[in-house]
Amino acid sequence: MIEKKPLPPLGITRRHALALGAGALGAATLGVPDLRAQVRLQITEGNFQPMPIAIPDFFGGSASDAETARNVSAIITNNLRRSGLFAPIDPAAFIERLKGVDVPPNYADWRAIKAQALVAGQVVRQGDGRLHARFRLYDVFGGVQQAGQQYTTTPENWRRIAHIISDAIYKRLTGDEGYFDTRIVFVDESGPKDRRVKRLALMDQDGANVRYLTRGEDLVLTPRFSPSTQEITYMSFGQGDPRVYLLNIDTNQREIVGNFPGMTFSPRFSPDGQRVIMSLQQGSNSNLFVMDLRSRATTRLTQSPAIDTAPSYSPDGSQICFESDRGGSQQIYVMPSTGGQAQRISFGEGSYSTPVWSPRGDTIAFTKQGGGRFAIGIMRTDGSGERILTEGFHNEGPTFAPNGRVIMFFREGGGQGGPSLYSVDITGRNEQRIPTPSFASDPAWSPLLS
Amino acid sequence: MRTGLAISSVVHATALLWALLTFTTSPLESMPSDSLPVDIISPTEFSQLTAGSKTAKAQEAPKPLVEKQGEKKLVEDHTAKVTEKKEINATKNEQTPPKPVEKTEAKPEPKPEPPKPAEKAEAKPEPKPEPKTDPIAEALKKDDAKKKEEPKQAQKAVPTPPKKPAPKKQPEFNPQRIAALLDKRDPTRQAATGDTINRTASLGVPSGSAATLSQNELDALRARLRQNWSVPPAAEKIVIRMVIRLNPDGRLAGPPQVLTRGSGAAFEAFRDSAVRAVMVSQPFNMLRRETYDVWREIDIDFDERTMFGL
Repeated sequence: MIEKKPLPPLGITRRHALALGAGALGAATLGVPDLRAQVRLQITEGNFQPMPIAIPDFFGGSASDAETARNVSAIITNNLRRSGLFAPIDPAAFIERLKGVDVPPNYADWRAIKAQALVAGQVVRQGDGRLHARFRLYDVFGGVQQAGQQYTTTPENWRRIAHIISDAIYKRLTGDEGYFDTRIVFVDESGPKDRRVKRLALMDQDGANVRYLTRGEDLVLTPRFSPSTQEITYMSFGQGDPRVYLLNIDTNQREIVGNFPGMTFSPRFSPDGQRVIMSLQQGSNSNLFVMDLRSRATTRLTQSPAIDTAPSYSPDGSQICFESDRGGSQQIYVMPSTGGQAQRISFGEGSYSTPVWSPRGDTIAFTKQGGGRFAIGIMRTDGSGERILTEGFHNEGPTFAPNGRVIMFFREGGGQGGPSLYSVDITGRNEQRIPTPSFASDPAWSPLLS
Repeated sequence: MRTGLAISSVVHATALLWALLTFTTSPLESMPSDSLPVDIISPTEFSQLTAGSKTAKAQEAPKPLVEKQGEKKLVEDHTAKVTEKKEINATKNEQTPPKPVEKTEAKPEPKPEPPKPAEKAEAKPEPKPEPKTDPIAEALKKDDAKKKEEPKQAQKAVPTPPKKPAPKKQPEFNPQRIAALLDKRDPTRQAATGDTINRTASLGVPSGSAATLSQNELDALRARLRQNWSVPPAAEKIVIRMVIRLNPDGRLAGPPQVLTRGSGAAFEAFRDSAVRAVMVSQPFNMLRRETYDVWREIDIDFDERTMFGL
């Protein structure tokens, strides 16, 4: 468990805060009438340079704490840098050496090195053996504290503390929810190309804490997280037909979803975690089915002489998008999650597959194939505003970060190599390789853990 | 009939409704485009002109003066020629009695003729019979005197309807005097400049004094802010309006005053990014110190609505 408490700004009591607030309000109301500025400017463009941020090493109580504290600040630095929105400043450039987390910094020294934000923090082990972490985020040019939190947890959660602090900083400075305190489930691929062993694996979003969920005796595909983050649904070639399985990652319990005659594949959880939607093969066609996990009741959603697969729910659960070749080639369709009329939304050249609805609800990510190349792109939920984010020999299987800002996918360069995981910002600007122990494919992003 | 009326009224109503719905499109939001100022006038001249504009309205009176000047010039020319000639003729007539009366008489006659033919036609019959009676020189002189009086009277009497205003003003508006009058008004100079100011001021006022900063300065300022604004990625439709007050050295006199109110993580992040952009951008040394009055306060809108396609 991680306990969380806000850290009030330095030297400001509750009374001070009230007075300040009233003063600001008074200034606002009094100040407005005489604001007759002569020159008016409109700035409708900014740049996309990452924001310079200074993250000095966190303070630790004892020598061993200092090690942990340094690691925590290193993870935060790494997280923020990889997001592409922040440019952590080299500590060698720092002028001021902070006195402590409760001593206000000398803003001029940080302004001089062009830092726009400053993070100060400390991690100490309490008498009861628990870890106590606190941090303050300062606006260097405004000269105020922008955020402050303190957390208490067990020592083995120190990495998560770092991710949670990263999320807090990210949220305060970008306005978006963070995505650092998350995990990725993927298919780990090892061995030679003709005898590839595929195992389900789980890791933190930064590639740390890799843990294998299956031994590799069965081929596994398309793992997906449940909203509760405790369960995974995936497709596995066990004995007989390939089936959709549910796996509890805490207890490692495994079960087959539904009792269907034939192959089931391409599963995904509903946003409330109560249902699993998947494809069932029937002859040369496949149709969409949904199963309620509590009642085990199954409902058929499509009935077409075509291959309907890769369903994905909208965040409010009212609609699904899926791929179908009912129109001749693979295209993306949207329909009510209870079944009904499906609307084709993709009309570009080439074929579209693996649609995923963004957690923000406004876009759908897809794999687009055409001209011998695979691209990852996004479009609005009505099919307009299509944008290709990355393109190459083989890119496939997009999955959204919980804030909908970043997409992870796997890429294969051809030849003797294997696939690896990449992430890209939905603006297409910041592409990053995700470190994995060996080849990896089919990533799925978890919701925020906290 | 009834069904026809009902159908027609329904159709008309739907047509009207359709027209109302389709033609009432919401106006396109257009960026308020700043007027494009041109740097021909020196800043001091411009500030002087704009300073005068406050009184420009009160000085609308001088306009009629300008119109009168134009009319007077025409009238003065005619009257001045006529009066000069009459005076000369009259003296010549009196001084040259021995010369043949006909010639002398003929000379004065044609001269007055061109201006007023009808009146002189009346005057002609009177002198013509008189010259034949030579002995009565006195009578002639008297007649001449009468003629002089008569034509003057006739001229004065008859032409007065059109010229009445002119002759009365003639003495007042002798060319020299007019010049004097004009000179008297020139020294105020507000009148003359006021006319021109009215035109520029009426153009300049609604489009704002953005015109007073050169486009170069504005562009440089805009570019600096744009360069230093790292836009937070939260693609929300937010506009932040703020006022900044500057010192003559181009540095902020105080923290930027954000006028837009809001809440939420996205708003706060956006607002802070805008404030940061302004703080980082100082000093605004692209603004000339001579125009400090203009950029003492600057309104800035940070608007990201047009930035993201999605």
